[in-house]
Amino acid sequence: MELIRLVWRNLTARTTRSIFTWLGIAVATASMVLFLSFGEGLRQALAVEMGNMGPQIRVVAQGTDAFSPPLPELPPEMLEKIKYLAPELGISKVIPAVVMFRGGFDPSSSFLFYGLPEGADPRDFYPKAQVSAGRIDPHPDGAVVGSKKAELNHLQLGKLLRLSHDVKLKVVGVLKPASSMIDSFIFLPLKTLQKVLGTNNYGVFLINLKPGVKADEVAQKLEEAIPGIDAQSSSEALKYAEKAMRIGDLIRFGISLVALVVGGLLVANTVMMSVYERTREFGIMRAVGARRRFIFSLVLAEALFLALAGGAAGVLAGVIGSSVINVYTQHAVGLALSAVTPRLALFAMGIALGLGLLAGVLPARNASRIAVTEALGRI
Amino acid sequence: MLKAENLSKHYLQGGTEVVALEDFSYSFPAGATAIVGPSGSGKTTLLNLLAGFDVPSRGRVELAGERLDELNEDERAAVRLRHAGFVFQSWNLLPTLTALENVAFPLLLAGVARVQREERAQELLSRVGVAERAEHRPNQLSGGEQQRVAIARALALEPAVLFADEPTGNLDSASGRKVLDLLLAHAGDERRLVLVTHDLDVASHAQRILHLRDGRLIDIEKSG
Repeated sequence: MELIRLVWRNLTARTTRSIFTWLGIAVATASMVLFLSFGEGLRQALAVEMGNMGPQIRVVAQGTDAFSPPLPELPPEMLEKIKYLAPELGISKVIPAVVMFRGGFDPSSSFLFYGLPEGADPRDFYPKAQVSAGRIDPHPDGAVVGSKKAELNHLQLGKLLRLSHDVKLKVVGVLKPASSMIDSFIFLPLKTLQKVLGTNNYGVFLINLKPGVKADEVAQKLEEAIPGIDAQSSSEALKYAEKAMRIGDLIRFGISLVALVVGGLLVANTVMMSVYERTREFGIMRAVGARRRFIFSLVLAEALFLALAGGAAGVLAGVIGSSVINVYTQHAVGLALSAVTPRLALFAMGIALGLGLLAGVLPARNASRIAVTEALGRI
Repeated sequence: MLKAENLSKHYLQGGTEVVALEDFSYSFPAGATAIVGPSGSGKTTLLNLLAGFDVPSRGRVELAGERLDELNEDERAAVRLRHAGFVFQSWNLLPTLTALENVAFPLLLAGVARVQREERAQELLSRVGVAERAEHRPNQLSGGEQQRVAIARALALEPAVLFADEPTGNLDSASGRKVLDLLLAHAGDERRLVLVTHDLDVASHAQRILHLRDGRLIDIEKSG
């Protein structure tokens, strides 16, 4: 407690320098929190998304990764095989679908079309789906548009959607906002999309299971029984996503490390300058009877205090920044893609404290080893 | 209580050995002892060794039964805390602390609880006549006031030995006189004051005056 009072006195005695150092750490920590919040946001969004998805297994052609739009490479015979195996494996429903992606990086000019067979509608894909206007079933010749897509591209009921020079559809339904990927989808009849792509093949089989059946086991049995497919359960897809996100995390952490190193050097510089300026003070303390450990703790505590205060401010700034980013991503794609989770906040605080510790050790060691005679100019 | 035997300190300066103190032996009796001599005579070196700020090249120094020449820095600091107080020429107060906190600082190091620390510090400030300046920082005090606060701090743990190095050097004669009186008041039956000065008038108030020249003790004069 007394040490904290002394630390506070020393830091407030040099207010401007302390504030600048505190700000430096806060900015460095905030930048790291913001960078890493994307990974956390994606994780959260994916976990929620997977939990809300209807189909427990997604079958695609071998080599298609979990989050890419699959090409129509699954022939109708494969569908028959799966249907044949269905009773034995505990499969309750198989929905063959085709996916088509058009557009670029800008969310407003990107389109993801989902072709569903007769008897299936967006609720098979996303059970909570509801319409805000029109009907939910795109059959026989309409398009049901996700809320965000409808808003960004002004696709109201009755609007004409041109898929190719001879395929045009009217918007027959607009879905309610679901804060899900489904907000950006356009659901069409399967036959229509197959016609546009010029194929009878399918891109994906969405599989629902009977209660109590384990998705991972069924996926494995399907892969064994039908060569050339990848059967991905939700948990497997999440694992795949986690791998990809870890790589992303590492890259983002690497970038934010630059800011962190600058922040660390700021603390080291401040504490080192402070030690040089206070050589005489430390000499007085030693002369009066302070042990080396007392001086060491005092200087190190100053660095840690700056790091802790800067880290806390940085996390707070990161939370605010993340909220601002989410306002944008919610508007653009209907998803909150940035999140400052407790684990990220703790990680950031840990890094800030580690930084303070590293930056403070050397000055603290120097301060504790100052000879009394030198410090007091008594040679 | 405070004893030096064959105390020597040699430095290497630019490859040449400099003898700062040579074969100093003396057992300091209770009361005030002044150490005088011209610049470079070894006064400050002697005080550094007696107080355990530095270690001798040769010889032994004993403070409160502890062989300072055999202790490491932290052990010497612990002996200083318990048995010695210091007043230097330049005031040597901690600039970020108030007068009260400066006086309480040795008590903090000794682990005395806050309430007792503050009571004791206030009492000491009253004793040296600057009680009303308790909440002021050193830069808000005059030179004489700062020196009196330094004396109060030196007395905080009732040390057996009080070291004073040119304590009146930066003060006007009236302030200097007050400071000297406070220091001399502490030297008594069981307590020792070691007063380093180049001012013979100040030294004349001590019971004994040790004369140093070229690092050697050349004369012991009884005074007062």
